[in-house]
Amino acid sequence: MENKYRQRLVWVTVLALFWQLTAWSGLFSDLIFPGLDQIFLALLKSLKDGTLVKQIAFSLSIIIQGLIIAAAAALILALTAYFSKYADGLIDTLTALAHPLPGIALMPLILIWFGSGKTAILIVIIHSVLWPLILNLSTGFNSIPDIYTLIAKNYRLNKLEFMFKILIPASFPYFISGLKIAWARSWRALISAEMLFGAINSLGGLGWYIFQKRVFFDLPGVFAGIIVIIFIGVTVEDFIFKKLETNTVRKWGMLK
Amino acid sequence: MKKYILIIVMLFLIIFLASACDIQDYAADQTKLTIAEQYGLAYAPVQLIKELSLLEKADPSLEVEWKQLSNTTAIREAMLAGEVDIAFMAIPPFLIARDKGMKWKIISGLSESPLGLMTNREYINSLADFKAEDRIALPQPGSIQHILLSMAVERDFAEVNKFDDQLLTMNHPDAMNALLAGREVSAHFASPPYLFLESKEKGIKKILSGKEAFGGEFTFIVGVSTEEFYQQQSKNYKVFLEALTEALNFINQQPQAADILADNYNLTAAEMKEYLNWPGMEFTSKIKGLEEFLAFMTAEGYLKENNYQRSELIFTEELVTEKKETVLEGAEQDGK
Repeated sequence: MENKYRQRLVWVTVLALFWQLTAWSGLFSDLIFPGLDQIFLALLKSLKDGTLVKQIAFSLSIIIQGLIIAAAAALILALTAYFSKYADGLIDTLTALAHPLPGIALMPLILIWFGSGKTAILIVIIHSVLWPLILNLSTGFNSIPDIYTLIAKNYRLNKLEFMFKILIPASFPYFISGLKIAWARSWRALISAEMLFGAINSLGGLGWYIFQKRVFFDLPGVFAGIIVIIFIGVTVEDFIFKKLETNTVRKWGMLK
Repeated sequence: MKKYILIIVMLFLIIFLASACDIQDYAADQTKLTIAEQYGLAYAPVQLIKELSLLEKADPSLEVEWKQLSNTTAIREAMLAGEVDIAFMAIPPFLIARDKGMKWKIISGLSESPLGLMTNREYINSLADFKAEDRIALPQPGSIQHILLSMAVERDFAEVNKFDDQLLTMNHPDAMNALLAGREVSAHFASPPYLFLESKEKGIKKILSGKEAFGGEFTFIVGVSTEEFYQQQSKNYKVFLEALTEALNFINQQPQAADILADNYNLTAAEMKEYLNWPGMEFTSKIKGLEEFLAFMTAEGYLKENNYQRSELIFTEELVTEKKETVLEGAEQDGK
């Protein structure tokens, strides 16, 4: 574990150095290739005047809402599909149709139906998260060994008990990896939706921050936005998901 | 550790080699001219250059590429990357990039145009009537429409950001559709032909014109180019300037300009004629309002530095204004 972070640190330093040297070499104009000093100054400035913090909070709050709604919906749909053959057919068809469809492709429709406010972004996020989650959950449910279901029968568990005591815990590793995919996809969907919609100023999130910096020709600012996105992505991946894994599947001995 | 160093050195080499090749390519390319075009009536003389092949006629060896880019920001970025030599845009986006250090200048004016803040709400008759939930659609922050709105707001309410939380970034076609749908968007700062189309709709009215917002006449679109292009390809620069002057003359003097352009704009010749002669549509190389934009944008913090000299922003004004006078003389003679 330690080793992984040390390696990362080394490589990040090397890349940063490489970046800075390229910037200093004057090979590219600093309009195209700003140095790290400029980028961090832009980041500090935005953090200081409070706009960026508000925008990060806005983006995160939309993502969390979207993830919770999508996770709940996916759980219900996947469970229904597990217990009913007809529902399984329908949900399978829906997933097959909608899963390969990028949320951005639906943008014109969403604009007309839901306007360009927060709801629209939320819908893009839910769309990009729901289908991979259902797929993962269904795979998880269906790959539970038969012994488990037979044990449930032995103990005469009813459906509800079976669901909560066996089905969901047994497929938890799939659920977590589904959540990881969902997180990455929702993050991408959010940023692109915000950049495309040009959300209302007062409501703008990180995507809007980058768009605004771009419009005002502030490349260090654009990079500052990108750094924030990377930082949040890594933090969530390394700490929140790691914690979730150690407290559940690792503790239960399902994952090494 | 040795391995790391080796990798770094190799990466460096690759980058240097790649960029060296690129630089040579650009310098050698004297026979190609790339022009960015955008949709809009204010760009009519540029479309005329294209339709009449004025550049190819002036210099048959010249290879002209027309690049369609969706918005001013994309054009700016393409120019910075060296993919576009000449582009057309409003003065504020030009100034913003100039202020950030982009090495470019104005070649010439292109057009003046009526602009208008159109609303579909009955209760809105002036800027003061906007409620907090009314949304105003604009191309983007920092666009001429945004700056004009800020100018009007600053004059009326002495607070320049009054409506900044109510702005909605939309391109003109989307904004027009939203305005006609009448739900989310209450107002649209439109340019032609969208302005003309909207003003023909029932229930949509103009509450502020560009001229009122600016407090006078101003150039809507200017032609811009990089200093690198101006210095390294001065021959092509001259060819282009002559073609532009010819196109401006043509559109001002020859009635068949409307017929030639109608197809290009997907309009009937009659509509095209009506639009080209709409009050306030002027095609002239004169640059008006540069100082006012500069002063306002500096005062409101859109620009950092001030006291730019005109010569720092415009390539060769003498040539342009000289040409302009001959244009006018020509027009007068024709009139007689």
